[in-house]
This record gives sequence, structure tokens and C-alpha cells, in this order.
Amino acid sequence: MGGSDQLELGGVTLGSRLIHGTGKFPSAAILAAAIEASGAEMITLAVRRLHLDGDRRSELEGVELSRYRLLPNTAGATTAEEAVRLAHLARAAGLSEFIKVEVVGHPGSLLPDPIATFEATRRLVAEGFKVLPYASDDVALAFRLAEVGATAVMPGAAPIGSTLGVLNPHNLRLIIAECPVPVIVDAGLGAPSDAARVMEWGAAGVLVNTGIARSADPPAMAGAFGAAVGAGRLAHLAGLAENQDRAGAGFGASSPPVELPPPPSRR
Amino acid sequence: MSQAEIGTVGQMGSAGRRERLRAARLYVVSDDQTPLSGLPQLVAAALEGGADVVQLRRKREEPDELLDVARELAALCHRMGALFVVDDHLELAMRAGADGVHLGQEDTPPEQARARLGPAALIGLSTHTAAQADAARALPVDYISAGPVYATPTKAGRPAVGLGYVTAAATRARVPVVAIGGLERGREAVRAGADMVAVVRAVCSAADPGPAARRLRAEAGAAPRWRWIQVNGEARKSPPGEAVDGLLFRLAVDPAEVVIELDGQILPREGLSLTAVTEGSVLEIVHFVGGG
Repeated sequence: MGGSDQLELGGVTLGSRLIHGTGKFPSAAILAAAIEASGAEMITLAVRRLHLDGDRRSELEGVELSRYRLLPNTAGATTAEEAVRLAHLARAAGLSEFIKVEVVGHPGSLLPDPIATFEATRRLVAEGFKVLPYASDDVALAFRLAEVGATAVMPGAAPIGSTLGVLNPHNLRLIIAECPVPVIVDAGLGAPSDAARVMEWGAAGVLVNTGIARSADPPAMAGAFGAAVGAGRLAHLAGLAENQDRAGAGFGASSPPVELPPPPSRR
Repeated sequence: MSQAEIGTVGQMGSAGRRERLRAARLYVVSDDQTPLSGLPQLVAAALEGGADVVQLRRKREEPDELLDVARELAALCHRMGALFVVDDHLELAMRAGADGVHLGQEDTPPEQARARLGPAALIGLSTHTAAQADAARALPVDYISAGPVYATPTKAGRPAVGLGYVTAAATRARVPVVAIGGLERGREAVRAGADMVAVVRAVCSAADPGPAARRLRAEAGAAPRWRWIQVNGEARKSPPGEAVDGLLFRLAVDPAEVVIELDGQILPREGLSLTAVTEGSVLEIVHFVGGG
């Protein structure tokens, strides 16, 4: 799929427009199989304290990190300062210049704090990071993030982990249509059709985690998402037919109608 | 009962007690040989010599018989800014106005003692094995003792655990470690990782308890001391001279798989062996995990 239609993101080229999350998978083996099946070339990671007592095994142990472009996130941050600190820790691992800024502004919904997200993005861009902020589906904010140098913006379709799909198609379409940097739809995509839909609208890519991780068969679902993202992209490139308010017959108006013989008269 | 739990004594709140414990170097435990009536004089001499903590431990009398002397010792200790704990007897500790209790592995479980004594009380727990030191991390205790370091008539029949166990306990502990058992000098146990040394005979059976206490405290105070540091939000101890790479090795952490932040600054991997761990160092050891 894709072929020459690749995603250029911060100086790297991705053959798949699906970015694969790595949280909440049932096992390390299932995660590794899912990434493989999805065809994704970029995966997300989180930064956490090493658990010094007890089990230190990571769900990432089955994943060969060097095979992928890595997008560490700042999950856990609730302020711009915390996000910047987590970004520094992530970069010090020496594996990626990318950072997904994620600053939770509301504990119940995990919706992002737009002001802290903007501030962290601005500071990290100035430090040379390639910043992909996870943001609310707000077109004005998307413009502001692009303006301060975000590599891409990542508006949420629905709250993180909710798998509710696209809650506000109008806002998301507006951002996708007008934002001057790539728009990668993040958070809340539950079904491959959700991913296909935003790709059809022209999203540059999608990030999917829970929709795959919490499905009944994550590797199979990862493959389905990969195919849906590809199909949605092809559909976007092909150009969707315009919706009509009225029914239109499936034949052209220029074709003459068939002259039907009058019904036989009854005697 | 005059009070529901151990409260704060004088100006020493629960934080003050724990701070005082952190600064303690010499812990004197009463013996069974000194007559009860002679204990105040003995303890006064030990305090004069610099004892930081005094424990009333008597196996021959009933708790009720100990109440008067316990009250007197508590007053003596508090006048000198020292801590006073009672071995085993929770009710006695409360009635006497002690700072807390010391519990053996077979005594009242620490959770029960905590529930009875309240958050301000000090609770100490004897440990003799690495498994007990590990288990103590999950218990509401303020210090652990490690011993008997050497064979001692005070604990006849209990095998000596040696200085090696003091080090094992120091490596595992999140609270101060008190080395006890046959110690006659202050230096070696502190060097092995103890925060303070506890003695019975070395002070109680000394011809002159005051100078004996003074010498022990000076030795314990001057010995090379393990540092208290914070690693991933938890208190830990680090031996003198340890660099960050040595700490990681001790914690079985591969430096290639983590990022280290020391006092808010990220450490370059090549600098780990050159960076010393110092008292109060705050380390964060982080790694990548799954996330979206």
C-alpha cells in the first residue's frame, strides 16, 4: 500500500500513515505481533520511573525499537514544565528527536490543557525537538501550534482510550482542511472505519492505541486498522464524490429514455 | 488509660521525632542486671555521654512494675533531647509518655502497634535476615535493628549474623538501621551501613557508663557513613564514595536501558562513573514503557 504516497514528517519518511501506540496490550508478544501486522513504521512510547523492586519487565521487551521511528510522549504531565522535563528525559535516551506533547488538563476526561500544551510545544520547538502536540479539536489552537513550529498537530477524535470515534466531525474536518502542518488524528478512534473516515477527509495520519490493544484480537485488528488507513488515504487521493441532497439516478441525463410501448388495452 | 495514643512530647512532633532519629548515632538498651532503682542513674550517665536513644528493656519485671521507672527515664531522655522507647509493651509505652516502642519479630505485629499507638509514635523492629529486612519495607516501622552482629549473652542462642548482614539490611532499608549485638566499638557497624550502634553491655556493664557512651558515640559519629539518598521517590542508602554507576550496578540496572536524572539534571551516560552520590542526592531512573 502507499507506494510513493509517503508521509513526510519532520524530515523522516513514513511508508504507513498509521502510528501505533504501545500501551495497554495484553502481553509483550501480542504487542509485537500487532505492530508487525499493522505495517506501522512509527510507534509511541511513554517515559516512566523504573520499578526497582519486583518485576521490571517491560511490555516493550518483544519490540525491536531500532526497527521503528519512535515517538515518545509526555504522558503523566499536567504542566508545561513537567512535559518539558519528560521530553528531556526521552531525548536523553538517544533514540528520537520526536516528542508527542501530552499535557492533561482535566483528570476525569484526560482532555489536554490547551494553554500548557501550547507553552510546552513552543519551548520544545525552540530547543530543537520535533514536536507533535496532542490537542483538543480546536482549529484556532491548531493554527497557533503550527505557528510556533509544531511538526504536526494531533487533534483528538474523542477522549483518550474511549474508542468513541469521531465526536465532532465538523471541527476535525475544519482542522484537516485548513491547518498548514500535517494533521494526525489521535485519541479515541475505536474502529478501523473511524480511521478510514478521517483519512478520507485528508488527515495526514492517525495514531491508534486502545482501539487495537483492547480489541479481542489485537494483531488482527492492527492489520484491519492498517488496511483502513490505506483505504482512507486512497479514497482521499481519489477524491470523494460530493454528497447530494436529492437522489440521482445511476444513469446519465444525456441518455434517451427507452420508449415503452403503451400498455395493451383491455377489452 | 490517660491517653488514646502516643502523642507529641514537648516540641517534638512526629516529624521532629523522626528527624531526631535520623541524627542518632548511639542507642543504649537497658540491661536486666542493673537493679531497677539504679536505672535512672545509669541512663543519666549514658545521656550525659551522648546517647541519642534509650530503650527500656526488662524481661524479668511485669509492665506494671516498670511504670514508675519508665516515666522517670522518659523525663530524663526528654530533658536531654533524646528519644525514649519501650521494648515490646505498648500500654507501658503509652502510659510512660515514651516516644515509641521496639518490637521483636515475635512481638505485636507493627501494623497493630501502629493502629494502637498512632502516627506520631516511633516503631522499631528487630530483623535478623534479609527476608525480614525486605518485609520491613512494607511495614509501618521507623527503624529496623540488624543483629545480633556478634554472639551476645543478651540474646543467648541466637546465631550471630555478622557485619555482612548490617550491609544487607542497609542495602534493603528505607528507614534507619540500628546495628546491635555484642558491639564494643562504634566504627565498624556504621562503616558497614548502620545509621547508629545499639549497645547493652558496652555501656550498662561499663565501670564508668558515661565515658563509655561518649567513646562509642564519638566512634560511631566519626566513622565513614552511608548516605541517605532518594531514588525514584524512595529513601535509600548509599555507601561512602559510591558513584552513580556503582549505585546502578548495585540496583542491577543497565545504564544503557535507562536515563538518569540527578538533582534535576540529566546525567550523560559517559559521566556516570565520575558523578558521586552525595547526602540528599535525588535520583530519578526512568525508562521507556508502553504508551499511546
